[in-house]
Amino acid sequence: MLELHLYGVLRQLVNGSVPTEDTILNLPYVQGESFHGLVQRLGLSMSDLGDCFVNGTLVHENTVLSDGDRIGLFPFNMVLLCGGQHLKGHGYTQSDVDVDYY
Amino acid sequence: MSRLLRIDMSSLSHKWMDVPSKYSDFAGRAFTSSVLSDEVDPTCDPLREGNKIVISPGLLAGTSAPSSGRLSIGAKSPLTGGIKESNAGGLTGTRLGQLGIRGIIIEGMPPAGTTDWYSIYISKDKCEIFKSNEWAGIGLYELIKKIWDKYPGRPGVIGCGIAGQRLHIGAGIFGNNMENSDPGRFAGRGGLGAVMGSKRIIAIISDGRGGEGPKPKDKERFDRGRKALTEALQNHPVTGRLTDDEGKPFGGLANYGTNILQNIISEAGGLPTHGFRDGRFKGAAKISGEAVHELVDKTREKFGDAAEGKYGHPCHPGCVMACSNVVPYEDTGKLQVGPLEYESAWALGANLDIDSLHDVAELNRLCNDLGLDTIETGNTLAMMMEGGLLEFGDGPGAIAALKEAYDPKSPIGRLICSGTLIAGRTLGVTRIPVVKGQALPAYDPRPIRGIGVTYATTPMGADHTAGYTIAAEILGVKGKISDPRDLKKADLSRAFQATTAYIDSVGYCLFIAFAILDNDDGFQGMVDTVNGFLGKEIDVTEYGLAVIKKEREFNRRAGFTEKDDRLPEFFRTEPLPPHNVTFDVTDEELDAVFKDL
Ligand code: SF4
Repeated sequence: MLELHLYGVLRQLVNGSVPTEDTILNLPYVQGESFHGLVQRLGLSMSDLGDCFVNGTLVHENTVLSDGDRIGLFPFNMVLLCGGQHLKGHGYTQSDVDVDYY
Repeated sequence: MSRLLRIDMSSLSHKWMDVPSKYSDFAGRAFTSSVLSDEVDPTCDPLREGNKIVISPGLLAGTSAPSSGRLSIGAKSPLTGGIKESNAGGLTGTRLGQLGIRGIIIEGMPPAGTTDWYSIYISKDKCEIFKSNEWAGIGLYELIKKIWDKYPGRPGVIGCGIAGQRLHIGAGIFGNNMENSDPGRFAGRGGLGAVMGSKRIIAIISDGRGGEGPKPKDKERFDRGRKALTEALQNHPVTGRLTDDEGKPFGGLANYGTNILQNIISEAGGLPTHGFRDGRFKGAAKISGEAVHELVDKTREKFGDAAEGKYGHPCHPGCVMACSNVVPYEDTGKLQVGPLEYESAWALGANLDIDSLHDVAELNRLCNDLGLDTIETGNTLAMMMEGGLLEFGDGPGAIAALKEAYDPKSPIGRLICSGTLIAGRTLGVTRIPVVKGQALPAYDPRPIRGIGVTYATTPMGADHTAGYTIAAEILGVKGKISDPRDLKKADLSRAFQATTAYIDSVGYCLFIAFAILDNDDGFQGMVDTVNGFLGKEIDVTEYGLAVIKKEREFNRRAGFTEKDDRLPEFFRTEPLPPHNVTFDVTDEELDAVFKDL
């Protein structure tokens, strides 16, 4: 299983969700699936997303997911306010975030 | 032509002056820190006559540059014992800009034993220092209303509340918002409210009517820059307008405010929870910017035009990003507090395990009314929880404790206003999250080590705004270094801190960072406004580093050494879940940040 925590407009993927509670979507785990693959499975594209996390670490498009992962999905307009330099270790960029902190 | 106003509280006199040429390019933090380092003895007692309060709007305040009306307030800090600049939005930056005032320097203090209180009214033609004993000891919501009733023209108001008047070092300097509905625009940090109280000043009222405002030297360049920057801001998904052309939610800040971060930092595992014991808060969603957004919508539906809740609210005239908000009471729709910032929602929420939005907003309202810094006060309440005087998670208990601060005879009330270090020590706590005596803000330095380096090394005491938002690109990293791991932590923190000092000085809000980093036209726009305004070229890094150099030198003369540039021990020894990491940046690396400065 993958445990998706949804935020902002992405909460709409779960019926009846409210922003004052955690919105969690459980999806079956697919062996070898990348984060990009998961995004496609949800019917979304990378440009719909802001900063996203797997088990608390900023995720890269190519990150391969593991069974039981907790995935935090934020929409395009929800990102770390500093652009996340202190987490990403470099400047504001959504396409190259393979450093979780510096 | 910009002017300076020098106010002497010993003789209750003032004089207007031209800006000396050595300060001609300085405003905001560059101005406050320069005057302090030139004029204040770093070893003075911050609450006696040797200290000065310096107030300066950013360079572009009062112009039509977007989101440029920030205000800097500086003094020697009674909380850290070092130099301090605290930065806020609100009306006063714009009003002083309109009046062409580059800075106000307040010195001296009324003779010992004086029981009178004073306030200061500044307008186009005059500066009046007058007795205002009737304003002493009252809550700030009541105070700002009285002032607007007395002075037409929607003046800016800053000053200190009950906590500052009693010289408590958890006190900040408040400012009113554009509607004057809330005194919540705080230059909160460093205990500067107590410095104002020590000068026996309650309020400084600035009436901008009839002022000429600052004029750019190269108007064409300034206007070009202003347009490019505004466009970049409005079209960016973080800083942009509330809805897109189809009416769907767009700008992240406009929709969720700075408290957009509550969920994000929690998901990242860096949200200090339960007194810095966990990196993730189960109740984050309940006190998040999304929850505020929903509450506003709900009360609007229920109470229609009578509803006072807001999001997408600008903190000063001309801010196009509008990250501010107003939290309404759920049962009446009336204003509870505005804004509820991420830092405050964290300090009074996640940090204390309190997940009731109502309780968190009420605690913030009480801080605003008393004139207390929310970050310092939230951490102080955490010390009381660590020390066994309150239970973690007990919102009503925390509210009751904070209300004791109204009573001058209550020891608990006095303790709450005294800051984290004093409360922690008094209660025998050994996990006291402070650097240079100032409490840590809302990012745990263990998983987020870059900000940890900034907390440790900034001359300001643990402060997220000192080296927080500005990416390395501005400093020429973009395109030159492909692997960010090649960058030394020290270099990066130093780069951030220098650029932040520049932004704090020119008056822009730090959040323009998104638009200027993602969009080269936006970046050029920022540079064009500043250089067009001054009619010359300014080097961003050089300018910022010069400011920090003065601040470090002030602290050195005040007795600070590299040993003060450290985080408390427990960050190095207690791993933080869920990442289970400690702060492992070495002392050598910390010392390298400003080694050559
Ligand atoms: S973005 Fe927010 S904090 Fe910055 S100037 Fe605008 S309203 Fe104020």
